[in-house]
Amino acid sequence: MRKFRYLLYKDYLLLKRDVAGLLLMFLMPAILVVLMALLQESTFQSIADVSVPMMLVNHDKGELGSTIDREVEASGIFKITRDIDGSIPTLEELEKEVASSRYVIGIYIPENTTESIRRNVARYVLATFSGATDLPPMDNVNFVVFVDPTTKASFYATIMSTLKEKTQKIEFTYIMNEITRQVNEISPIPISTLGFAGEQVHIDIRDARLQGKDLVPNPVQHNIPAWSLFAIFFVVISLSGSIIRERQDGSFSRLLTMPCSYTEYLLSKAFTFIVVCLIQFGLMLLIGVFVMPLFGLDSLNLGTSPLALILLALSAAVSAIGYGIAIGNIANTYHQSSVFGAISVVIMAAIGGIWIPTFIMSEPMRKIGMLSPLHWGLSGFLDVFLLDAGVRAVLPECGVMLLFGLVCFAIAVSFNYRRRLDV
Amino acid sequence: MENKFAIETVNLKKTYKGKSHPTLNGLSLRIPYGSLFGLLAPNGAGKTTAINIICGLRKYDSGKVFVDGHDQSDGMKAIKPLLGLVPQDIALFPTLTAYENLKILGGLYGIKKSVLEERIDQLLELFDLSASRHSYINRFSGGMKRRVNMIAGMLHAPGILILDEPTVGVDAQSRMMILEKLTEINRSGTTILFISHYLEEAEHICNEVAFMDDGSVICQGSPADLIRAYTPCDSMESIYLKLTGKRMRDTQ
Ligand SMILES: Nc1ncnc2c1ncn2[C@@H]1O[C@H](COP(=O)(O)OP(=O)(O)OP(=O)(O)O)[C@@H](O)[C@H]1O
Ligand SMILES: [Mg+2]
Repeated sequence: MRKFRYLLYKDYLLLKRDVAGLLLMFLMPAILVVLMALLQESTFQSIADVSVPMMLVNHDKGELGSTIDREVEASGIFKITRDIDGSIPTLEELEKEVASSRYVIGIYIPENTTESIRRNVARYVLATFSGATDLPPMDNVNFVVFVDPTTKASFYATIMSTLKEKTQKIEFTYIMNEITRQVNEISPIPISTLGFAGEQVHIDIRDARLQGKDLVPNPVQHNIPAWSLFAIFFVVISLSGSIIRERQDGSFSRLLTMPCSYTEYLLSKAFTFIVVCLIQFGLMLLIGVFVMPLFGLDSLNLGTSPLALILLALSAAVSAIGYGIAIGNIANTYHQSSVFGAISVVIMAAIGGIWIPTFIMSEPMRKIGMLSPLHWGLSGFLDVFLLDAGVRAVLPECGVMLLFGLVCFAIAVSFNYRRRLDV
Repeated sequence: MENKFAIETVNLKKTYKGKSHPTLNGLSLRIPYGSLFGLLAPNGAGKTTAINIICGLRKYDSGKVFVDGHDQSDGMKAIKPLLGLVPQDIALFPTLTAYENLKILGGLYGIKKSVLEERIDQLLELFDLSASRHSYINRFSGGMKRRVNMIAGMLHAPGILILDEPTVGVDAQSRMMILEKLTEINRSGTTILFISHYLEEAEHICNEVAFMDDGSVICQGSPADLIRAYTPCDSMESIYLKLTGKRMRDTQ
């Protein structure tokens, strides 16, 4: 343990003296994130103009279904398809369509929705007027909204929320009107529906946080996680560089002649750079919350689960560090590692949706993008920032990133073993 | 049978990957306890390779390596603390100060902090580096780097000290000083394996030398014995040239 402290001390000092590396790891992402958010502010407005392919399945013959259809159409964001070769799909068929990425969003309005709601309201009105204190049982009215899992990563989550809110508003208004109408039929005294709470008719408005918020995709919510990940992955250059420099200046060999194993050497490096990644991440969050508003941008909304954020940041750090260690061991020179490291991170960022949302990409590109650990990281962060996802919801994303890191690590170790010992 | 050798290699063979010619071709080296042992050979004869193998930095194809009686194939754990290596190329952290370098390297041997600090002070004093202890290694002159490199190998007072051409690129005064210190250290009981190109240097300080060529030892003995055996040669240099010829080795 005491030995390990000296290794950490070494890595700390080496890092501290690597001014260029520090600037690259801390200053560059900070500047980049502010710049990109400012540049993209306008882009995001125009992305909202892009027609998002949506399938809207309306089995309801009544008023409510057609109102929702009309409103969604009127929002102008969606390119709506309503049938498959002339026939109206079932719930399962709709799910399949969306899952296969032909549509980004699918809305399912079940049969007799208008009828069920009308019946529920009638029951409620009757019960109230007959003096019952308990609410009578209600028919379930379930809209289903499917989101293509591969686009979840982008800010589609936001669009989905907008949509949900919109349909719920329509539903709510409709119920209000229905109540007023039915009550006025029974009672000669006109009543007002003010103060009537939605919950009483089981309109389950989830994501209460999103209520009343402007849910237009916002560059801060997208850029902070995107560039935090980019920053985390940029430690690859400094990390692989330090491994190569130590190999070249012979200090690495010297360490191995001492009571210090290769594993200890790597662990110390990994630990040092995980701390770097976490500091970077914290810095980016601070920029999102406090600096962005100074530029007239929105402040970052951190979601509700700090634990999920930490977990995601740690997993991203592990995958970046695994990757950095692999490059440090495979590249022969500092030049190779920095050029290859930078370019490969930029490519992974691009296909992972750091610059442009993945939904704009073509289907094959989107599939390729899933190879990038940044894609998973971004998907996880957006879930937390936009959908208030908790730890459980981001475990798959964390899992993929950890796996990526460990595979890289294993490759690095076996590569190093053979090169170092010349076997 | 009692083990008499600090380091012993038996019929060591090593061919680097991608090379057709073996670098070590049956190297059998026996370095007695307490000796100041000179290993002399032309460039590219495989001296550094042999040392790297002894220190566990490279794998070998066949043969045996023993250090202080420990079979190296049982692992380096028992061996590492016994050995002190001063590598041919400077092996230090260039962006750290001399003091930081030594503190970290010594710390890794598990030396207690107070003992280590005292030892560093002593050695810096001994090698005349006290004044530049807090300067960065990359601001040091070549000779200063060599001396720090040397201190780094002996911080933990190893029983066996291996020096791979420690006097290359060092001025005459420093060289004299280094040789003197080595003799001193040897007298206090440390076995020293000393690799050099300067034959008169070896003749001057070593009590045993071995000539190596083409990956194996071609003769071994004390300088005096060798001069006697190879009359009319009257110095290490003439024996060396007689044995190894005038051909350049590292061009093959
Ligand atoms: N990592 C390596 N890969 C391939 N060949 C190597 C490697 N290291 C050394 N060699 C080869 O092995 C031979 C011996 O090299 P080595 O460094 O052991 O010689 P040396 O006796 O220390 O020479 P010098 O006096 O110049 O230091 C040389 O021909 C060299 O090219
Ligand atoms: Mg050599």
